[in-house]
Amino acid sequence: MKKISILFLFASLLFCAEKAAAQSPKEMIAKVNQHFAKVRDYAADIAMNFQIPGVNIEAISGKVFYKVPDKFRVRTKGIIFLPKQNPYYALAMLKDTNAYTAVPGGTEKIGSVTCTIVNVIPNKDDDLILGKFWIDDARGLVIKSQLTTKSNGTIIVENQFGKMQQYALPDKMVFTVDMAKFKVPKAVAVDLNSKSKVDKNASGKGTGTITLQFSNYAINKQLKDAVFTQD
Amino acid sequence: MFNLIGIELFKITTKPRSYLGFLAITLIILLIQFAFYMDGKQYLDFIFQSLQNSFQIEGNIMNGSLICFIILQMLIVQMPLLVALVTGDLVSGEASSGTIRMLLSKPYSRAQILWAKYIAGSIYTFALIAWLGLLALGLGLLIFGRGDLVVLKSDELVILRADDVLWRFIAAFFVAFLSLSVVSTFSLMLSCFTDNSITPIVASMSVIIIFTIIGTLDVPLFDMIKPMLFTTHMIIWRNLFDNPLPTDQIIKSLLVLVLHIVVFLSIAFRHFTRKDIQN
Repeated sequence: MKKISILFLFASLLFCAEKAAAQSPKEMIAKVNQHFAKVRDYAADIAMNFQIPGVNIEAISGKVFYKVPDKFRVRTKGIIFLPKQNPYYALAMLKDTNAYTAVPGGTEKIGSVTCTIVNVIPNKDDDLILGKFWIDDARGLVIKSQLTTKSNGTIIVENQFGKMQQYALPDKMVFTVDMAKFKVPKAVAVDLNSKSKVDKNASGKGTGTITLQFSNYAINKQLKDAVFTQD
Repeated sequence: MFNLIGIELFKITTKPRSYLGFLAITLIILLIQFAFYMDGKQYLDFIFQSLQNSFQIEGNIMNGSLICFIILQMLIVQMPLLVALVTGDLVSGEASSGTIRMLLSKPYSRAQILWAKYIAGSIYTFALIAWLGLLALGLGLLIFGRGDLVVLKSDELVILRADDVLWRFIAAFFVAFLSLSVVSTFSLMLSCFTDNSITPIVASMSVIIIFTIIGTLDVPLFDMIKPMLFTTHMIIWRNLFDNPLPTDQIIKSLLVLVLHIVVFLSIAFRHFTRKDIQN
């Protein structure tokens, strides 16, 4: 009887210790939020690279500005393609922990980092249908996110962190966006002499990738609102 | 020789038809620019519709470079006709009006006279291209501003940075000049064979229209013929807006155009210098 009691006590202690060490999905998200909450605004240099089917566009660099809650602006000298959502859309969405239900989804290794997957389902009808976040719970950073939206299909965001990881600001962000194949009638494009090519991608769907590389962050320097509006 | 070229240029300027080309270019360009100024956004929204569903596109898309590119695409088909209207009349016009005997009685060789006519025709062609460039690019930049050039293709968009555009336009105008020189030489050659001015003009226009239709039709049967038509190489200016630049293809087409000029000019000289002038 004594032996059984000791065994039961040991098992209980083990269960409690494990419970204390593991974080709930919302606790993990709260840790992520703590990092990004330190950022009131920032300015940084940005280098952009585009891999968009049907669009031949060279890389470009410029300046990027952000200010809470959702002001975001990239200023370059030329034409650029950006994801339709603000790059911090996912982090901004995670702020209000009562607005969604977080469900654990196991673990997965991304590069050398073991990430915990958290699925986020909004509580009210929103553009976002489902959010899936790969969180490095040791550092409290979102390494990858997959957002399924009503308006833009699925968007995958991969983050690489460096010097600014204490602010949850990545050095590199890679956006992969669902897109339809680019096609314009010849007469509209006034492209009458071009030869029709055999369409290898019959479904007409593909994905476009935008890579943003950040450097020279200047954080919390009280950016003026004018930088988001002026040309 | 300069004197002779001056006289030929004077003859061109005295003919009302010489101004038709300038008038047509001016009207077409102003019409396109006005249309884009009023409704260009809708046109671009339609083109970018599929991309705008997935991405936010930022930057000045509707700028002078884009408008100039669209004008060039539209006008390049009509320009040869405007050139042939003048150059097809250079020799046959003299024959039909009965001034060719008087012209040949001057103390110049027939070759010199034909050279003068050819050079005067080339200067007219150059003036037409320069006017096109001034209005399409100069006025376009003035009205719509500067920016990256979006090269519109039916299945692809090529976006060239603003700093990388001007030299391409200058090169495109040079290629357009060379292409139109093929037409002017061709119509001059035909002009040496007839004694009325209508035939070489209509014949030149017909050849260009037929060749252009063959070039435009996406039928495999014509694929073998297309490389042999000078109209196929006349549109090589568009390849100057590709990235990366298809240098080999451009050089090949330029050589084909130069070869056409040499052949047409040789035939014209051979015939004109030996021609029996009867009227």
